[in-house]
Amino acid sequence: MRLINFGLLLRAWRETLGATLVFTMIIGSFGGLLSYALPRVQERFMSRGFIPPGLVQLRNTMMGVDSNASGVAEIAYTLAWSHPVIVALLFAHAIIVTTRVPSGEIQSGTLDVLLGLPISRWELFISETLAWLVTAALVVGSMFAGSYIGSFWVKPENQPNWSLMGIVLANLALVYVLIGVCGLLASVFSDRRGRAVLFVMIFAAASVLLNYLELLWEPAKRISFLSVLHYYRPALILREAAWQGKDMAFLGGASAALWIVAGVKLARRDLATT
Amino acid sequence: MAYAVLTESLTRRYGSRRGIEDVNLAVSEGSLHGFLGPNGAGKTTTIRCLLGFLRATTGNARIFGLDCWRDSRTIKAEIGSIPGDLRLYPWLTGHSALKLFGRIRRRDIQAKGKLLADEFELDLGVKVRQMSRGMRQKLGLILALAPEPRLIMLDEPSSGLDPLMQDRFRQMLKRMAARGQTVFFSSHTLNEVEALCERVAIVRSGRIVADATLDDLRRQAKHEFEIVWADAAGERTPPPPFATLTARSAARWVGSVEDGSLRPMLDFLAGKPVSDVRLARPDLETLFRRYYESDDEPGTAGPSRPGSANAASTDAGLNGSVGTPATAAFPAGRASEVRS
Repeated sequence: MRLINFGLLLRAWRETLGATLVFTMIIGSFGGLLSYALPRVQERFMSRGFIPPGLVQLRNTMMGVDSNASGVAEIAYTLAWSHPVIVALLFAHAIIVTTRVPSGEIQSGTLDVLLGLPISRWELFISETLAWLVTAALVVGSMFAGSYIGSFWVKPENQPNWSLMGIVLANLALVYVLIGVCGLLASVFSDRRGRAVLFVMIFAAASVLLNYLELLWEPAKRISFLSVLHYYRPALILREAAWQGKDMAFLGGASAALWIVAGVKLARRDLATT
Repeated sequence: MAYAVLTESLTRRYGSRRGIEDVNLAVSEGSLHGFLGPNGAGKTTTIRCLLGFLRATTGNARIFGLDCWRDSRTIKAEIGSIPGDLRLYPWLTGHSALKLFGRIRRRDIQAKGKLLADEFELDLGVKVRQMSRGMRQKLGLILALAPEPRLIMLDEPSSGLDPLMQDRFRQMLKRMAARGQTVFFSSHTLNEVEALCERVAIVRSGRIVADATLDDLRRQAKHEFEIVWADAAGERTPPPPFATLTARSAARWVGSVEDGSLRPMLDFLAGKPVSDVRLARPDLETLFRRYYESDDEPGTAGPSRPGSANAASTDAGLNGSVGTPATAAFPAGRASEVRS
């Protein structure tokens, strides 16, 4: 049984390439800027020996850990890699790309032509996923590339360990993938792309909000496991110099399980434009 | 007989909403089979079930002996289809569409596609977003026909084409059928079906109300008559038992006669003071209108019980002698479209 169709891959890339390049450039540039600026800012704060408590609280919230014991590179790069703009851009890309099929195609009316061709639903789903993952590699990789380039102008002692940053990249990629799989899932359950996008956006926004609330409000801690960012641990990876295996396994496992559910649903549901 | 399409009690419901009910269709390989019905009758739903877009609620549908849902991918390798409301990716050009669709089909369709484009007089260099509706329809037809599929399944294919192109397209379909390809297409345009089809299935309110050759449909319709009496004030004998009057005045009778009763009707009229008589089967358009418009339950509606449309006419022998001269007697116009 053929599971990958090169024509479908080309079609998907043709439709997503423009958006992917824009996101790649923005994320890479912004990531680079953060990686250039934040170590300097952090170093200046530390050299003064005093940081306003409010700022420490904000920093802790963004990092998800107590940052007082951390060094410049650890703080700066954790903040850069969990900056809300970066997270929002990554989530937006995942949502835009993954909600195209089938709900976007149903809405635009092109699905009837597409499904009239000799392809199986699984072939369509796997090809779409593969095409998306290639664009994902570009977008998520651009954060690493931007960060790496931005760090050229940072003092060597304030630069991170790039092997550990590779693990942070893997952790971020898994978070991105889980959001994208939620997009696929919402899309196969809906005939309206707007509805699918809204559903995943609410989930993503709630995740971000819960992640911040977790450190500020005790009751939020009890349900923080529901946030996808709860499993994103750049600070711990850089501090402990280790994979956060459990968290990453959860992200990978949840993504795989939801992806299978989405594929089965797509293979079984009625599909036609209205 | 080998069937390209065969459905048995195919039913598809959308929750409480009606889709299609108990559809039995048999399309022979190499035939030109029309699927006629008013808007919303169930034509598109049937085609979507056949293409494996929708799963049947009950019953089954098979194409070339394979299950339309389970073996959809295999089946579609043998099908060229075009949806009723054709939408193509706006970024495609004709050339890139042929290339892309060929890649998805895993076969080169560019050479054949260019030949078809010449025939349709379509510039393949234009982007879909810049195409008129007719141009997009032509491109859709080219993409459906270029792989030279065994079964061509088209949902209202000529909409958007100008009359000249419609004629050319019909010639094309006839050539393809002559080569052994099967053509199954839906339409609500009567003259299209009449010009193309050997056989037609009529769907109304989700049910097949007739499935027969056009000749059979014509033959099955009851003869209708209109008699104008010369002596408006004269005494009348009662109408014969084989005739049903639908309008009766002193000067004029209008009605229909049972199958096989044409000769007795003529005998009945012999020697009577008739100033004018018209006696004929209704033309196709009138016939189709009745199938479309009847409020009766399908299966009992329309002329001479459409559910039994395959039955041969019992008075076919009289068809030429009486029916032909009187055919024009019930004018209904030759409108190009029949709508409910």
